[in-house]
Formats: sequence, C-alpha cells, structure tokens
Amino acid sequence: MDELTVLDSLKSQFPDAVADALIDSQPPHIVCANVDKGKIVDVCSYLKDNLQFNRLSGITSVDFPEDGKFEVVYLIASYDHSVIVKLKAEVPRDDNPSIDTVIPVWWNANWYEREVYEFMGIYFDGHPEMTVLVLSDDMMGEWPLRKDYQEFPQTTAKYPYSDDQESIVEEKYPLEWKSWPTERHYLE
Amino acid sequence: MPKDIRTPMQVITTTTGAIHEFLKKSPAQDVINWGRKNSLWFMTQPMGCCGVEMIAAGCAHYDTDRFGIIPRCSPRHADVMVISGYIVRKYFPALKRLYAQMPSPKWVICMGNCSISGGPFYRSYNTLQNIDEIFPVDVYITGCPPRPEALIQGFVELQKKIKAKTDKGTMYGVK
Amino acid sequence: MVNKHDVKKRMRQLAAEYIHEPQQEAYKLDDTEMMLHIGPQNPIQPGPFLIDLKISGETVRDSKLYMGYGHKGIEKILESMTYIQGLPVTDRICYLASLSNNEAYVSSVERLLDIEPPERSQYIRVIMQELSRIQSHLLGTGEYATDLGFVTMFLFMIREREYVLGLIEDITGARITHCFPRFGGVREDLPDGWREKAIDVLSMINEKCEMYKELFSSDRTYRMRTVDIGTLTKEDVIKAGLTGPALRATGIDYDVRKVYPTLTYPDIDFKVQTAKKGDIFNRVMVRINEIQESCWIIEQALDQMKPGPLFPDELPYGRRTPSMRVPPGEAYVPVEDPRGEMAMYIVSDGTDKPYRVKIRGPAFALMQGLPPMLENVYIADVPAIAASMDSCNSEVDR
Repeated sequence: MDELTVLDSLKSQFPDAVADALIDSQPPHIVCANVDKGKIVDVCSYLKDNLQFNRLSGITSVDFPEDGKFEVVYLIASYDHSVIVKLKAEVPRDDNPSIDTVIPVWWNANWYEREVYEFMGIYFDGHPEMTVLVLSDDMMGEWPLRKDYQEFPQTTAKYPYSDDQESIVEEKYPLEWKSWPTERHYLE
Repeated sequence: MPKDIRTPMQVITTTTGAIHEFLKKSPAQDVINWGRKNSLWFMTQPMGCCGVEMIAAGCAHYDTDRFGIIPRCSPRHADVMVISGYIVRKYFPALKRLYAQMPSPKWVICMGNCSISGGPFYRSYNTLQNIDEIFPVDVYITGCPPRPEALIQGFVELQKKIKAKTDKGTMYGVK
Repeated sequence: MVNKHDVKKRMRQLAAEYIHEPQQEAYKLDDTEMMLHIGPQNPIQPGPFLIDLKISGETVRDSKLYMGYGHKGIEKILESMTYIQGLPVTDRICYLASLSNNEAYVSSVERLLDIEPPERSQYIRVIMQELSRIQSHLLGTGEYATDLGFVTMFLFMIREREYVLGLIEDITGARITHCFPRFGGVREDLPDGWREKAIDVLSMINEKCEMYKELFSSDRTYRMRTVDIGTLTKEDVIKAGLTGPALRATGIDYDVRKVYPTLTYPDIDFKVQTAKKGDIFNRVMVRINEIQESCWIIEQALDQMKPGPLFPDELPYGRRTPSMRVPPGEAYVPVEDPRGEMAMYIVSDGTDKPYRVKIRGPAFALMQGLPPMLENVYIADVPAIAASMDSCNSEVDR
C-alpha cells in the first residue's frame, strides 16, 4: 500500500468532498486532505473498509478566530501498512458548532471527542455521553483552549473560585506595605 | 467537617484532653516527643513528578526505614502528609478530606516547587499556588524534583523541630 | 419456629433500606449490589484517578473511570512560551519516560525547521531513548508487583534501576526530567570512561533479567493469579487502538521503531518481542524481554558510533537562541515511548511561539480500554489488571 495509491483512490471515489489533497515531502510522508463537514463519516468508512485503515490515532481541533472557523483534524493510521492520513474538516465558528461523530467507524473515538468538546465547544452529534473528561464539573462551558479565553487567573489556595481577583490581591498585598505580612499562625 | 480545618480544638472538654494539656507542660513531653519523632509514618500520595522521587527514597539506595519512616497507603495509619506535586482544582476537596481523616498529631511537608508556589505550571488555569494558606506546613523542600537525599533531610529537620517543641502539629498553647 | 427464608428476606430489606436513597437511585443498584469507590488517592498507580465499581458479592459487574485529577493545562501553557522555553515543560508530561517526550517535541520542530542532526547526535539520542525505556519498564513492573503483594520483586527492580539512573545522570545531570536534546543535536557529549561503565552495568542487568523471569514463572500462586486473567484478544486490541507492549503481547508485531524509523534505527539490528496470549503473565514477560533487547541495542550503538560534530554546520538563528522563528506549517512525528506510540502535532504560524500543540500520548488508549476489561472479574484482580497495563495518569490528563 503506497501513499500514491491511497491519494488516487480517495480523489477518484470522492471528487466533490475531498479537496487539496497532497503528500508531505518529508518522512513520515503523510497524506493530507480537506474534507467536507457532512461527508466525514462516509470518507472514514471508506478508508476503514477498503484501504485497511483500522487505527484512529487522534482527533484534535485548532482555533482560527480571524478566519472565523474551527478545524477538526483526524489522524488515521493502520496496523497493516505504514501510511498515515490526515483529514481536516472545517466547522464555522458560530454559536453552536457541531459535526457528526465517528464512533460507528472506530470505537476508540469516544474519549477524543469528549476532550475536543470540553476544550473547544464543538458538539458531536450522536455521541452517547458528552460530559467532562479532564476538567472539573464547574468548568464545563468555559472552553479554555479557545484563543479568546480570558486567560490564566492567578489563583491561590484560599481564593480559588473568586471572580474579582484584582481587588482581593490588592487588599492582601497593597502597594505600600509597612511591614512584612505577619506569620500565619495556625491559631486564629 | 469544620469550615476551616486549621482551627483546632479551642475548648478542652474531655478528661483525656486535660491530661494531654497537663503533660505538654511537664518534662514527660520530651519522652513522648522522642517516641513520636523516631517513627514518622507518611502517607503515599504521589501526585506528580516528585512522587517518583518519594517512592525511590523509600527503597534500597536511599533508605528511609533506618530513621523509622515507613510509607502507608491509608490516611488513618499515617502521621505525615507529604504534598508531592502540583495541586489541581479537581483534587483539592479530596486533599482536604484526606487531611481531616488523619488522626492527630499530624504534620505536613511541602515537597517540590509546585506545591510551594506553582512551579513550572504557574501560569495555568487549573493549578493552585500557595498551599500554606490552608494547611499548617512545617517543612518546605525546594527543587524540581528534589533529590531523595533532600527529602531525607526534610524529615530530619522535622525531627529537630519536634524535639525543640516548635512544630505546628502538636498543639502547644491551646488555652 | 422462625422461617429461615423470612429472616433472610427481612435482612435483605433492612440492607436495602440502609443504602442511601440517592445513591441507590442515582446508580440504579439492585438489592444485591453495592458501589465501591477506589478514590483519587489510590495505591494502584503513581497518579490520582477514580474508579467506580458496581459489585455484587465479589464480582465486578460494571465500572467507570473518572480522570482529570492531574490536569495542568500544558497545551495552553506551551502556546505562551517560546520553543526553547517549552522544552522543560514537555519533560513533565509523563515523568517516567521524559526523554521520549523530549524526542517527540524536538523531532517535530526539526521537521518544521528542515534540519537534520549529524550522525553522532543521532546515536546518542538512540542510547538515551533505550536507557529511558529500561528504567521505565523496571519501575512499571515493580509497581505492578506491589499490587499483587510481591514486594520482593519491587525492591529488587528499584535497586537495579538506581544503577541505570546513575548512568543517565553521568550524561545529563538529572535523574528524572532531563531536558537533554536540542534542536539540531544534543546538549553534551558522552563523558570519558562512560562506555566501559555502561557495558558493566548492562551485562549485570542482562543477568538479573534472567533471574526475574525465573522468579516470575516458577511460583505456583503467582501463576494462579496471572495466567488467563485479563485476557485481550487481537480483535479487542485493534478495536481499542492500543500500541506498545499491551498490543505486542497478543501476537501483533507493530513497533514504531520498525514502521516509522527515525534516527539511526535502520542500521541497528533488533527483534520485536511478542507473545502468543494477551493475559497479565505474558504482558510482563514482554516487558522483561524488551529490557534485554534494549541492552543489546545500546551495545551495538556504542560500537557503531564514530567521533564527529554534535550540531550541523549552518543552523538558522544559532542553536540556543530564545527568539527563533519557525516557518509556518504542521508536523507530526511518531516516536516509540515505553508505553506505545507518542507524537506531537505542532501547528506554527511563523512567529517564535507555537500556535497549537497537541500531545498524543499512548496512555489515553490504555485507560480508555480498561473498563471493558473489568467485567465479571473478582475485586482482587482489579489492581493486578490495571497495573499490568502500565499506563501513566499524568499523560492522560496533561
């Protein structure tokens, strides 16, 4: 199984859905292609059934706020040959971005899609369980990995969930302090 | 569970409590401290990279058993809690509960840069810094990760503190 | 005379009422079932995670995993640091095999910069990767032995691991979290006299591995607890998408060093270790065989190395500069971690900080494939199965 055979068969089978297909010049020569959002399940089943791509390496997402889109990237490999395929699907960056789930094709896509949802906010239609995987329950809905996340609140152990961080920090350590903060004795 | 777990018993209500307070002012406390400092059992809580050095310190080359220090898995059998690694928001309630489950007298050691002030994950949305605003910490061990010899020296400093009666685990001075 | 069945019925009723109502409703428990939480602080692995087991008697009916107790947000942190500043942070993704993480990051950035390290640096990187594999397998198998109660093996393996860490420390200066490769080469050369010391230590480890294999396979109680338990078939493994020793124990020989060869692995002659049946016993045997194979790889690399430069002649922007600008593009280079296939997908937009870094770790698939393995199994087998998969919690959480 060669990279050129994979490229040709993809182009001939899906002439409308697959665009900008090319092969990397450096090893490992990855076959990259852009796929239509609605046809992703068909392309993936074709890859798995006819071209023996039976291992899903990962699903990620990249955020492009200037172009107004998200990109969902699928990295697909195989146990029988050494070709890697990278599919990119564009999802517009509006209030409810969503795309079809790929679980009917590969069973292990479950946790990858949950992770993309909790970090970026892209919903996967048909997924059995869309809950937090790695974040805590109160952070669902904040989409931390987007580029416009109000980032890195400096939290200390005593005030982990406060909203107005600046006022509290100024109160504890004002700009003109007259003496060191006293030793925090454990008896109050 | 009380709201701020750092407030200890303020009022002595039981006879055992009164006996303990009487003994703390007498020279018998030296003998009790000698027994306590030579058998400090710590709770294995490997939360991060420092956890691997904590495990390695208990084994062949850097033996801690010669000081009487043994790892125990359950908090109910332990004296010392070693906070080894980064503290994450999701784990923080479990950490408070583990500390409350340990029987007193109990001591806390901060191991590694992440528990003292954030370490290399200082600029993150999910980690907490300055854990000594919540727990009464006795010994700080710096390093990323500190060597096992540094952890053994931390335990030795805690032993010296217990002998000199300046530690925060036994509650001297409760009225 | 009291009827025995009436008494039993009444006791079962009392037991059912004693369970908290919310828990019974929330978890949909029968009268004979109970919920057991192996909480965030667990003795199974170094690293916190939560397993919920629904047990009935002593057998496990259902299980669920909750991760996230070690999530630091490394992918967001790497977007705000320059490439060379991000190198120590990638050390701490999986602290048991930090040289493989460094290697994945540095190889991807070298693809973007379009440079290749010279031959001596490639041999040194191969040696470091194999040393890291030896010490990670020793620690992983030792932790698995404590979960069975076989503490002697743990103490033996940690003792050998200290010698290997001494070898690594002579070159890099640190025991774990090394930060050793650089873009285009390595930081320092091998010191004098290291070659003879390494050959002594490696031959000692080769002998001890024979002793480990004998200790593991001759004990009757150990065989009763591990043979034919936690079995994975070839279909299970392909469905779950595993890589690494858990895959090779079922008989599929898939090794990233042979399928996507990088560095000087094509010049070195080694065999991929497999076994015939995917139960706990064979997974442990595959790991010990891999330790012996790594010793052989290091000896070959030391023989084939020739003196030469460590960095190529012309580098863009010097070799230790903090403000190096990387041309725009994407890169993905897989590397063989002790647990499977490790890779980083880096997207760069032409500035001195990466635009997006996605860390594809092998432990993600190992943790995902754990709940289906824990069906109709005794409670005492749960730590043994979970520890024999040898996954690293901090790599799943990042």
